[in-house]
Amino acid sequence: MSDSATARAPAGNAGPAQGAAAWRTGAAQAGLILVLLALWEIAARTVLNPFWSSRPSLIAERIWRLALSGELWVHCSITLQEAGAGLLLGAAAGVPLGIALARAPRTAKVVEPVVMGLYGLPRVALAPLFILWFGIGLMSKIMMAFTMVVFIFMLNVMEGIRTIDPDHLDLMRSMRAGRFYLARKVLLPAVTPWILASFRIGVGLALIGAVVGELIGANRGLGWYVEKSGGQLDTTGVFTGLVVLMILAMLANQLIGFVERRTIRWR
Amino acid sequence: MALTDTAPRVRVENLRIAFPRPDAAPLEVLSGISLDVADGEFVAVVGPSGSGKSTILRAICGLLKPAGGRVSVDGRPVTTPPPEVGFMFQKDALLPWCTVAENIRVGAELGGVARAEHAGRVSALIRLLRLDGFEDAFPKQLSGGMRQRASLGRLLAYNPSLMLMDEPFGALDYQTKIVMGRELLRIWEAERRAIIFVTHDIEEAVALADRVVVFSARPARIVADYAVDLPRPRDLRAMRGEAAFVRLTEAIWSDLALPA
Ligand SMILES: Nc1ncnc2c1ncn2[C@@H]1O[C@H](COP(=O)(O)OP(=O)(O)OP(=O)(O)O)[C@@H](O)[C@H]1O
Ligand SMILES: [Mg+2]
Repeated sequence: MSDSATARAPAGNAGPAQGAAAWRTGAAQAGLILVLLALWEIAARTVLNPFWSSRPSLIAERIWRLALSGELWVHCSITLQEAGAGLLLGAAAGVPLGIALARAPRTAKVVEPVVMGLYGLPRVALAPLFILWFGIGLMSKIMMAFTMVVFIFMLNVMEGIRTIDPDHLDLMRSMRAGRFYLARKVLLPAVTPWILASFRIGVGLALIGAVVGELIGANRGLGWYVEKSGGQLDTTGVFTGLVVLMILAMLANQLIGFVERRTIRWR
Repeated sequence: MALTDTAPRVRVENLRIAFPRPDAAPLEVLSGISLDVADGEFVAVVGPSGSGKSTILRAICGLLKPAGGRVSVDGRPVTTPPPEVGFMFQKDALLPWCTVAENIRVGAELGGVARAEHAGRVSALIRLLRLDGFEDAFPKQLSGGMRQRASLGRLLAYNPSLMLMDEPFGALDYQTKIVMGRELLRIWEAERRAIIFVTHDIEEAVALADRVVVFSARPARIVADYAVDLPRPRDLRAMRGEAAFVRLTEAIWSDLALPA
C-alpha cells in the first residue's frame, strides 16, 4: 500500500481460471436481469394493467427520448452532484470524527448516546426542515445526503480502529515509531477497508437522501422527475426515474468495488 | 551463573507483574523474579507454557508496567521502550497490508538505517532468510514458518544491540531451525549483541545459548540457571551427540519435572 509501485501480488496460475469464473458470474447476473425484465414485459402485456405497472419497453423508450433531449443528463447530473457532494462531505467529516472518537474513548462514551440518538433518527424526516433552512436548490439535498452517510463513516472508522491488532501497536511502540509513522503504516491501512465499505453502503444512502430532498422540494433531478411524473399519473415516468436511479447506484457500486480491489490487494 | 565483569545490559530485580481480572484477584504472573543479562550474552529462557516468559520480555521492552520491582536496560530504568532493544513477538505481527519486503523494511526505517541502504539491507535479509521470490507476497500468502522468518527479518533489519526473541523458530521444521540458528549465531558472533531467547525447545536452548534460565510454572520463579560451557563456534548438528550437551539437556528436562 505504501510503496505500491513495487508491490504486486505474485502472479498466481489461478489468473485465467479466475477470469473465466468472473465472466460466468457476469453472464449469470446479466441473464437474471434480462429474465426479470422479460417477465415484467410479458406480465404487463397479459395479466397486469400497464397503466399501473408500465412496461420495460415503454421505460426503455422513455429513457431513450430523455437521453436525446438532454433532459436525462440534466436530472442525472443534478442528483449525482447532490449525492456525491453529500457523500464526500460525509466522508470528510465522518472519518476524522471517527478517528478522534476512537482515540478519545472517554469523550466517545460521553457523546455516544447523542450520536446513537441522531443515528437512530429517521433522517429522511429532516427533509422538510432542510428545504426550509437551505432552500430548494442543491444545498438542501447535499445536506440530506450528508446526514444520511456521515454516521456510517464515523461508526465504521471507529470500529476499524477498535479492531487494530494490539500487537501491531506494541510492535511499533517497541521500535519507537513516531505518531506519523504509526498513522501511515498501521492506522490508515487498517481503516482503509472500513472507509471503502462505508462508501459502498453510503452510495445508496446518499442517493436516498438526495432523492427524498428532491421529492419534497426541487425543480430538477431524478427525484423531482419521479415526483412530477407521479403527479401526472405517468407511471412510466415514475419507473423511468427509479430505473435510472437503480442503474446509477449499480454503477457507483461497481466503481467502488473496482477501487476496493485495487487498493486492498492484501486481503 | 555467568560472571559479569561489565555492567549488565539488562537488570531485572524482584519484578512483579499481575494482570487484572474482572471477577477475581489479579493474576500474578511474575512474583519477584530477578535476572541479569550481560553485554554480548546469549541467554535462553525455557519454561512451561503460560509461565510468564513472554511477559518478562514485554516488561523488559517497556510494553508492560510492573506491579513491583525494577527493570533497567543499559543502566536506565525502563518506562517506555528503550532504544537499541528489538522485540520479535511470539505471534509474527507482520503488517497484513505490507509485503514481505515492506514488512522487513519497517525494521530498517525505524532502526535508523540510512534511506539509501534500505533496499540493499532488505534484499540481503530476504536472501539470508531464504524468502527469495516472496518479496512481494503479502503475509496471508505465506506459510507459518515463512511468516516467522519475515518477522525475524524485520528484527534483523532493525538491528538492535539487544534482541528479545520470543520463540523465534517455533514454527520452523528441524532443518530450517538449524539453518536459522546457524545464521543467528553467525550474526551474534560477528556483532556480539545480547540476546534473550525464549523457546520451548530445550536442545535448541542449549545448542545456541551461553546460559539457560529455567522458569517454573506460574507464578514463575527461576528454578535453575545453567552456564553452557560448550565451545564455540558450535556445530549445531554434531554437538547434539556430545556428552556435555546430553548431560545439560537431561538436567533441564528434570528441572521441568516432565515425565520421562
Ligand atoms: N495481556 C494479558 N492479559 C491478561 N493475562 C495475560 C496477558 N498476557 C499474558 N497473560 C497471562 O499471563 C500468563 C503468562 O503468559 P505468557 O504469555 O507470559 O506465557 P508464556 O510463558 O510466554 O507461555 P507460552 O510458552 O505458552 O508462550 C498466562 O497465564 C496468561 O494467561
Ligand atoms: Mg509466550
